[in-house]
Parts: sequence; C-alpha cells; structure tokens
Amino acid sequence: MSHLKMWEIMERAAAGPYCEDDEFLYDIFLPKMQEVLSKYEIRYDPSTPVPADDDLADRIWKAAVEFFLAVGVHNVDTHRRILITEDELNEALFLAPEVHQVGAGHETRWWRPRRIEDERGPFCIFSPDITYDEDIFLQASMAYTQEPLADGVCGPILEESIGRTIHSGTPAEMAGVMEHAMMLRNAAKLVGRPGLFLVAVGTAQSDTGQIAASSNEWGVRSTDGRLIGVLTEMKTDNELLNKVVHCKQFGCAIGCLTGAIYGGYAGGAEGTAVLEVAHHLVGLTVYQHNFNNSFPFHMQHTSNSGREMLWLVSMVHQALARNSRILSTSNGFFNAGPGTDMLFREVSAHAIASVVSGGDLWTSAPRHNKYRNYATPLEARLAAETGHAVARQGMSREQACGIVDTLLKKYEGEIATAPEGKPIQECYELMKVKPQGWYLDMYKAAREELAGLGVEYPY
Amino acid sequence: MSTVDELVQAIENGEAARAGEKARAALDEGADPTGLVDTLSVAMRAVGDRFGTGEIFLPELMLAARAMQSAVDVVQPALLASNAASKKVGVMVLGTVRGDVHEIGKDIAITMLRASGFEVYDLGRDVDPLDFVKRAEELRADIIGASALMTTTMPAQKELVDILVAKGLREKYHVILGGAPVTAEWVAEAGADSWGEDAAKAAKTLEEVMAGKRAGAGE
Repeated sequence: MSHLKMWEIMERAAAGPYCEDDEFLYDIFLPKMQEVLSKYEIRYDPSTPVPADDDLADRIWKAAVEFFLAVGVHNVDTHRRILITEDELNEALFLAPEVHQVGAGHETRWWRPRRIEDERGPFCIFSPDITYDEDIFLQASMAYTQEPLADGVCGPILEESIGRTIHSGTPAEMAGVMEHAMMLRNAAKLVGRPGLFLVAVGTAQSDTGQIAASSNEWGVRSTDGRLIGVLTEMKTDNELLNKVVHCKQFGCAIGCLTGAIYGGYAGGAEGTAVLEVAHHLVGLTVYQHNFNNSFPFHMQHTSNSGREMLWLVSMVHQALARNSRILSTSNGFFNAGPGTDMLFREVSAHAIASVVSGGDLWTSAPRHNKYRNYATPLEARLAAETGHAVARQGMSREQACGIVDTLLKKYEGEIATAPEGKPIQECYELMKVKPQGWYLDMYKAAREELAGLGVEYPY
Repeated sequence: MSTVDELVQAIENGEAARAGEKARAALDEGADPTGLVDTLSVAMRAVGDRFGTGEIFLPELMLAARAMQSAVDVVQPALLASNAASKKVGVMVLGTVRGDVHEIGKDIAITMLRASGFEVYDLGRDVDPLDFVKRAEELRADIIGASALMTTTMPAQKELVDILVAKGLREKYHVILGGAPVTAEWVAEAGADSWGEDAAKAAKTLEEVMAGKRAGAGE
C-alpha cells in the first residue's frame, strides 16, 4: 500500500525522465547493480543454502532500496522512468498494513506479515501454475480448492474455450477468461468453500481480458486477488498499469508478480536477490500491491529449487521480513514432474527455505512450469504441510539449512535431467477428485523421509 | 600482448570504448579487415559458449556484444574499402509475437545469433504476425524467428505460419519458434521448422540450416 495516488503514478509513467531501452540497461541498471553489490559486499555461499545471517539480509535490503530509488521503473511504452523518492518509499513502508483481509464468509482470512523463524504458519496459495485441458478444468480445480491448507487458490490456465483456441487480446480470450472465472468459482462452491480467496484469472494476458473477469456476481470478486507482473527487469507498460488502475477501483487485492531471472541482467545469486527485493518495492509503490508473488528462477532450468536459487529465495524473504511488512508468497518452480520422489524433495526444500525465512507459500509449478496437465495438488499439499510443520516447531534457520542441504544432495545432480513424471489424469482419479492409491503412498513416503530428517508434522 | 590480443581481451571484458580504440590501432598497424572480423567472431563465440555453460551471466554477454559492435563499426569502412564482403551466415527477422511484451529471451537470441554471424533484424515485441512476413519480404530474409512467453500468445506463432502458407511463401522461409512455454510438439503443431530451445541451440540449429541451404545452392 502507498499514499501515492494512481494519478501520480500515471503522471510519472507519462512524463518521467525520458530514457530509451539501451540507456536504461547499459547506463543505469547494470552499473547501479554492480555498484550496490560491491558497496554492500553481498556474497553467495553455496555451503549455506539457508543462511542465518541477519547482517547479510539487511545489506541486501539496503542494496535493493538504493538500487530501486536510483533506477526506478521503466515504462517501455512511453520510454519514461517512474521514479519514487526516498520519503515516498519510507512512507509506503510505514503505512503497510499489519493485516490484510481476503476471502469472504467462512473462508475469510486475515493475512499477516511473517517474521524469520516465525511460529505462525505460512499463508498458502495453492496453484498448478500451468494449463489444464478444458475438459478437466473443473474437476482439477476442485482437487485444489478442496485442499484444507489452501488459504487461497489460483486456478489453472485455459488455452481453449468451448474447444476453440484462446488468442490473447481476441474475443476468444474474453470468452476464456469468463469461463475460467465461472468454473473456478464453481470449483470452490462445489467443495463447500464459496468464499475462498481466488487469485484469477491466469488465462487473461491482456488488460481487457483481466477487466472482463471482474464481477462480484459471477467472476473475480472484490474479495479475491489479481496478479500484475513486473516486466524483465524493473519495467512496466501501459497495459500493466491499466490493470492496476482497474483493480484499485474494483477493490480486489493486487498481487505483484515478480520473477527476477538468475543469470539475467542482475547476474548471479547476489544480484538476483537484490533485484527481487527491489521488485517488491515496485509492487509496494508503483502497483500499490497488497501482496507479492515471488518466483525468481534460473535462466537455464526455469526453476528455483537448486542450491543457488534456494539461497536467494531465503535471503529475499529474510531481507523483506526483517525490514518491512510486505507480504510475499514464495512461488516454487521445480524441475521434476508430478509423481516423482524428486519433485516431493524439491517442493519440501523450497517450502522449508521459504517459511523459516519469513515467507508465505505459493505452490507449485512442476516440470519447469512448461507442460500442460503436469501439476497436482498433492505436491502442493506436501509443501504446505511441511511449511506449517517447520513453523509450528519453531525450526531455526540453522536446522533448516541442514535439512535443505540433505535434500539438495539427493536431487541437485539431476536438475538438468529431471524425470518428467505424470500428468494429473494419471496421478488422480479426477472424476472422484482424489489421488490414486500409489500416488498417496508415494506422498506418505516423502513425508516419512522428511520426518526422519527432523520435520515434526502435527498430524 | 599484440594489439589484436588486446582487442580480443577488450571484447571479453565488455569494454566498448577500448575495443573501438584497439580495432583502430590494429587497422593502423596493417591488420587485414577480413581477418580481424573473423577474430572478433571467434572471440564473441567463446564468450557465448561461456554464457551457455553458466560460467558468465547476461550482463557480461551483453557488454561483450556491445564491445564487439564497437569494434565492427570501426572495421566496417575498411572492409568495404577493401572490397571484401563480410561473411554473412544468413539474414533473419526476429520478434516477440502479438500480445506478448516479453523480450529478454529474444534479446539473448539476437546477441548469440549476431555473434554467430547472422544479420538479425529485431522487430521488437507485440509484433503482428503479418508484420513478420512483410519485414522478411522487405529484407530478403532467410529465416523468421518468433518468440512467445505466454501460452495464450503462442497461437500467434501458428498464425504467422498460416499467413506464410496463405500467401504462398511457406517454402521461402525457415521458421524457428522459441520462448519458455514452446516445446518441440508445439513447433510441429504450428507447422514451423525448428525449435529454439535456448539461444545457443537456436544459433547452432540455424547455422546448420544455412549450411544446408548453401550446399543445396551449390555455393
């Protein structure tokens, strides 16, 4: 949240300092990133995937603040930089609420910022993050909405509506987003959770598609949430700002969607961590978000469960938790597909690293977030149960680091050749909305392995 | 260290101004412009390989590409004056499809392809499928590359191929598709020719395609 009004942001987006793409990248972004990494002496250490280093977390925060204030956000449509002053940022941080209310009726949730090693459990948004076939959309969505630890659900994406291919920005997208919103709400109602907090609709890429889905009668409600992305890196455009203006007026929660790229413009783990924290500040001020969905990912693997990625996921959330009340769901992107031991280990390592560092959970995108139907609620359930368990037992970062290191050693050698796994149709008996017996057995075995490593599940 | 070695070092370090100075110095010392461009290409390809293995990251790659361009800008007039044609592997138009505003994958691909000797025209983002075809025709391109980062913008890649078919131009161009959600299966379904799984693989694939074309043309 921020005291800044949308018209002030719009004015800066249209009339801020003129800056072309190359100037923004070469003369502003790259040198400033190098400067803050050097000034604040930020170093990645592969031996501690979950560091217990408060000073490092604070240095990453300071580097991100300095970077954000100096670089600003580039509007690629107007070629203008949206600059925020230090006073404005400090005011926005001060005004960030102690609690956000989402969902409705019996499914109302009061979402509070977490601290490092917080014994309060994470807020969990369950999401497949991927496309499902239209003919399984409802049943598969019910498989997610019925999950008891889901505080919210972000539904799958549709690529067809009434059997026709959805093209972004066309009438087919309009039809698809309405179908998506209606079916996802029905999926919540059918499992007895009509007020469930839904983050929708991923089917809509365009601003008009997002706006078309807003309806307290049949679609995305004002008690639901939307995601609005920051472009790679520290960029926005008018279409994204259109979504912000609409959501502020409509009243739904704004989730700023940010995925700093490891190996991209920010370089390695250190720069990517600083950039991802800076992205959160974009969300806080320019998008005036209620929460952030954070999915930093490795450029080559399109995942964030590797050693360097867990380090930066952990440090991003530690920096945020120690210095702000920004809500941030840590969005897992994994290498292996559903129905594999490797995926269960990846989601667990990511959940542990995120939760002890003060993050909430958004879970999960298997198989590089790339293949249709390759995601199930069971890996998300394991992530949420593990997240709640480590919070409840008050797990320290040091203990978490040891468990994560053990898990990493079991799978990090297979990241480039991760098993594909199986689609949800093979893992679930979808008509009955329940996991297959063999799949449940595999999940139970994964829990037992984690319990053996020190995770104390309450049930 | 020779001037040419210093030039290579400037490129590897991403020092644009120094690369231009060293290129000028190398020419003043009598270096052959064609040989100089070949040396620059080898140096840039080595930088690209280090990026592909994760040894260096995108900033180093982009700065090296900028330094290489700085050197090429100095060498180009000498190359033209000597009547030696620069080795152009192929001409390509590349953009992100309509409805999609993501550019980083496209930009990396452009850098890697230029490093491999392709003449690449950046069409930008949110490009109408018909505009890909029009620009390819205008520029006498060999290859059309279309990137998409969203599953709901991928259909525009197929629309591009469909337009080529409708205009009777399908056989004239090699069409390569890329972007995070794009798979080999989608490339086949869309009727394109190859999959740019990543920038390095795209460059390698297209080098082979152009080598095949040249062999077919008896060059």
